[in-house]
Amino acid sequence: MTAREKRAKSRPAEQERAQGKRIAESKAKKTGLLAMLSVMGPGLLTALAGNDAGGIATYSSAGATYGFGQLWTVPLMCLLLIVVQETAARMGCATGKGFASLIREKFGIRISAVAMLSLCVSNFAVNVSEFAGIASGLKLFGVPVYVSVPVSALATWMLTMSGSYRRVEKILLAISCVFVTYIVAGVLAQPDWGKALHDTVVPQMSLDPAYISLLVANVGTTISPYMLFMVASNVVEKDLDEDDIPGQRADNVSGAIVAEVITWFIVLTTGTVLYPAHIVVNDAADAAQALVPLAGQYSSALFAAGLVGASFLAACVMPGVTAGAVCEAFGWERGTNRSWREAPTYYGILTAITVLSAGLVMLPGADLFGIMMASQVINGVLLPILLLCMVYIASDRHIMGRWANSKAWNGLTWFTIVAVIILTVIMFAFQAMGY
Amino acid sequence: MIYLSQMLGNPVYDLNGEKIGKVNDLGIATGEVFPRVTSLAVEGPGKTPFMISWRKYVDSYDEHQVQLKVVATDIRFSYLQPDEVLIARDLLNKQIVDTRGMRVVRVNDLKLSDTSSSQLRLLGAEVGIRGILRTLSPRLERVVMRIAKSLGRTIPERIIAWNYMDLVERDLSNVKLSVSHKTLDELHPADVADILEKLDPRLRGQVFAQLDDEQAANAMAEFDDDAMAAEIVGGMEETDASRVLSEMDPDDAAELVSELDYEKAEKLLRLMGVKEQKAIRQLLGYKEDTAGRIMTSEFVQLSEDSTVADAVKAIRGLDEDFEAVHYVYLKDEEGRLSGVVSLRDLIDGETDTHLSDISYDDLVTSSPDDDQEDVAKDIAKYNLLAMPVVDDKRKLLGIVTVDDALDVMEEEHEEDLQIAGASTGDSDGSQHTHVLSWLLRNELWFFIWMLGVIIMGSIATGEHTLQHTLLLALALPVAIVSAGDAVTYVTNFYLEYDEDDEDAPSMLGFALQGLGLGILFSTIVLLVAWGINSVFFMRDATGGAYAVRGFTAASASILVSFLTTPIYLRVLRRRDERNKESSGTSLACISMLVALAVFVAVVLLSTHGMAI
Repeated sequence: MTAREKRAKSRPAEQERAQGKRIAESKAKKTGLLAMLSVMGPGLLTALAGNDAGGIATYSSAGATYGFGQLWTVPLMCLLLIVVQETAARMGCATGKGFASLIREKFGIRISAVAMLSLCVSNFAVNVSEFAGIASGLKLFGVPVYVSVPVSALATWMLTMSGSYRRVEKILLAISCVFVTYIVAGVLAQPDWGKALHDTVVPQMSLDPAYISLLVANVGTTISPYMLFMVASNVVEKDLDEDDIPGQRADNVSGAIVAEVITWFIVLTTGTVLYPAHIVVNDAADAAQALVPLAGQYSSALFAAGLVGASFLAACVMPGVTAGAVCEAFGWERGTNRSWREAPTYYGILTAITVLSAGLVMLPGADLFGIMMASQVINGVLLPILLLCMVYIASDRHIMGRWANSKAWNGLTWFTIVAVIILTVIMFAFQAMGY
Repeated sequence: MIYLSQMLGNPVYDLNGEKIGKVNDLGIATGEVFPRVTSLAVEGPGKTPFMISWRKYVDSYDEHQVQLKVVATDIRFSYLQPDEVLIARDLLNKQIVDTRGMRVVRVNDLKLSDTSSSQLRLLGAEVGIRGILRTLSPRLERVVMRIAKSLGRTIPERIIAWNYMDLVERDLSNVKLSVSHKTLDELHPADVADILEKLDPRLRGQVFAQLDDEQAANAMAEFDDDAMAAEIVGGMEETDASRVLSEMDPDDAAELVSELDYEKAEKLLRLMGVKEQKAIRQLLGYKEDTAGRIMTSEFVQLSEDSTVADAVKAIRGLDEDFEAVHYVYLKDEEGRLSGVVSLRDLIDGETDTHLSDISYDDLVTSSPDDDQEDVAKDIAKYNLLAMPVVDDKRKLLGIVTVDDALDVMEEEHEEDLQIAGASTGDSDGSQHTHVLSWLLRNELWFFIWMLGVIIMGSIATGEHTLQHTLLLALALPVAIVSAGDAVTYVTNFYLEYDEDDEDAPSMLGFALQGLGLGILFSTIVLLVAWGINSVFFMRDATGGAYAVRGFTAASASILVSFLTTPIYLRVLRRRDERNKESSGTSLACISMLVALAVFVAVVLLSTHGMAI
């Protein structure tokens, strides 16, 4: 081996070490609370985007139909949410790659193609339900569908087109402040706090098929497929690395808790007001409207405002997450700092999802409820597949290095997967039986 | 010709026809342009992987199986050599840099070819849609190809040859690059910067860290997005960052440092060598957009009595990374700039000729506080390759080179476009919004018109009915559109003439011309409206009266719009003096709103004054 070759050979290793040191040193300086805050965002936003139109509909109908009877699921959902989000965020931090990239590199084209196709379909359906949520929420304020949907579609489109995640993160976080309205609405409803807390801690089980299928829907809306992609890609875009993992954990745990607190208040509000009156609601706008005579104008308006804000938030992130994941998996150019000509697929998918889903909502006679149900079914099938991909990647030491899943965490993830699969099977069984 | 996707998973049979496993991967020797396949990785029974030599054992292969020359018991396993790469593990599905197309792509399939009977070589990586289709199912690929053909199109393969690939994740896969590689290191820094901009932030940092200091410095200077360059510097370890900065030309480094936050910039500067640090600090001392900020302090200056030989010696003694030398500057005993000798004069001159004999004394110079645009224009005007920048005592401080002047021209051009209303001024490449915002900008008048209708509708009371209000508002568009045109008139004039050009018309001339245009157009509007009204709408006298009143208000507003043009010109020039960017769109918006206000005021006055 000549001297030159030797040098060439030793160079990458040296550089790798130097680079590791370099990152470590530059990060070592920012510690404490400020550093924690600077990495906040991805987890919080993702968890909050989960409380979208579909979520609010499910929680309100759980509250309206069973009172506080399903409050006990909230802490459990919180745990599942933390498991899933923390793993996805850790994968992003440890590898610097998005979830779609990791699937492609570990499992090849075929599985990626299946995952991406179903992600597209599922996110499209979810996006439709977001626009439906915006439309029905704004209708309560007297805005007609033909105004509210095109305007919000244009607004979400321009927001997603206007820049990378880092630029719009603050705007989205500002929008998510709207969730406070649910807490205010819950307080205004004057619930029985003692009973609510009791029912949160003590599980109540019922074998009523409707009760169980609502439970399944609950899991389906809390943990959705886009979540895995969104949290990982936001982490990557924010360029967080291994040293940010503690901050990232804090972000995801607090995000999941905030999201579930909001869920709790939604169930609380509808459970306090609508359950005793025996009002059955099918969607979130129903719930908001039903609140008027019983809880007053203000809590209804707050409920509707929350619905619009939540749906808008989710509609902002859904097309970008989908387009980003597809392009990442197949190696096409992506990101909003490219031109249309450079990244046609990215912009194509992004625009198509926005335009088509907004168009479908405006279509007279469209069966929006059917679309939402279909999206839940697709999510139910896709979620176990993606969670399996996730657990295999996250426990692969070759990919994750020392940040691979610990045994306990793997156990938790497997528990989540098995739970989701069982619940999905139950849901299908019920649907086949016609409940 | 065979693809990796067609070989993976195929059964491997030995001489007796016994299946010993299935194809798992292929190893290639990396030293050649079309690397040879050197080993076959097999997944044996019980998922045990092993490798055997391709040359020694493989007899034949096709899309269905691999046939070995020997029986299973005679096989000896081999191990992955340092210069070998496993193509399924290290290349397939991975991101690579296409160093010819300057793009980052993902490998969908790998194309192999037999050059002789048993030798298999890697032709390249397939990165196009066909690779995806084929891996999904070869039948799918054929179907799609047939459909495309019937539509009169072909979908070409997109193959990147081994020697044009660069692996993004070098540190992870430990893949060594062959000597024949045209790697990132050999590309032009501007291309490297382009590729880096397309990577995810993490990879960007990793790839950047693999460049040597010089390459890194050059690429850094070529980033279109200064903020991104500043971010990379911010993410590097301080000593590395300061080393890269020292390597850069001081003017580029100064620009970058000015993007960093104060604390970080101070830290980096303190880590740099005394000389470089001084040069950058000096440049940072000048105001933004001046000659001082963009000049470089790397130039050659000799005393007047030096000879050609001295000059040549001085140039030869320069560092490799010294700014390009086009001229040798001369100074007199008191250190004042006294002349310049071009490189060509030096080459022509005899070695013992005194430089003062062949120098050119009638120098064009600028002062460090001059506007960078003026300097760039002078460089263009006098066909210079570099412009000397001197202080009050004519001491040479630095030179502005032609490449920096070109950058300035480009920048100023963009600013001009922005004033002309053709761009949003967001020059960091977000072109997709251009069409949309272009449309919104151009149809701004509509929104202002609607605003006017709302205003007039809300103040219309009593006997003024909605119809009458709308009749009044009929003439509003012409007032608003003319206000926009008046601003275009101003911006065109502003871009065409500099304030201190001798041949530029005076402010008075401009104002008079504007006034003339205003009177002319408002008269035309008024006459046409009156004419149409008196010929066609005689029967509805009240309606006609309202419409005419509207047009009268419009023509008054047009007159005001053109009368105020000197004010807008004044504003533009003032802002330019203070180096502020102005946008033509916001000017137009202001002027339209003024026109609307004038219109509404005139309408109100006239309807109050006159009984209907």
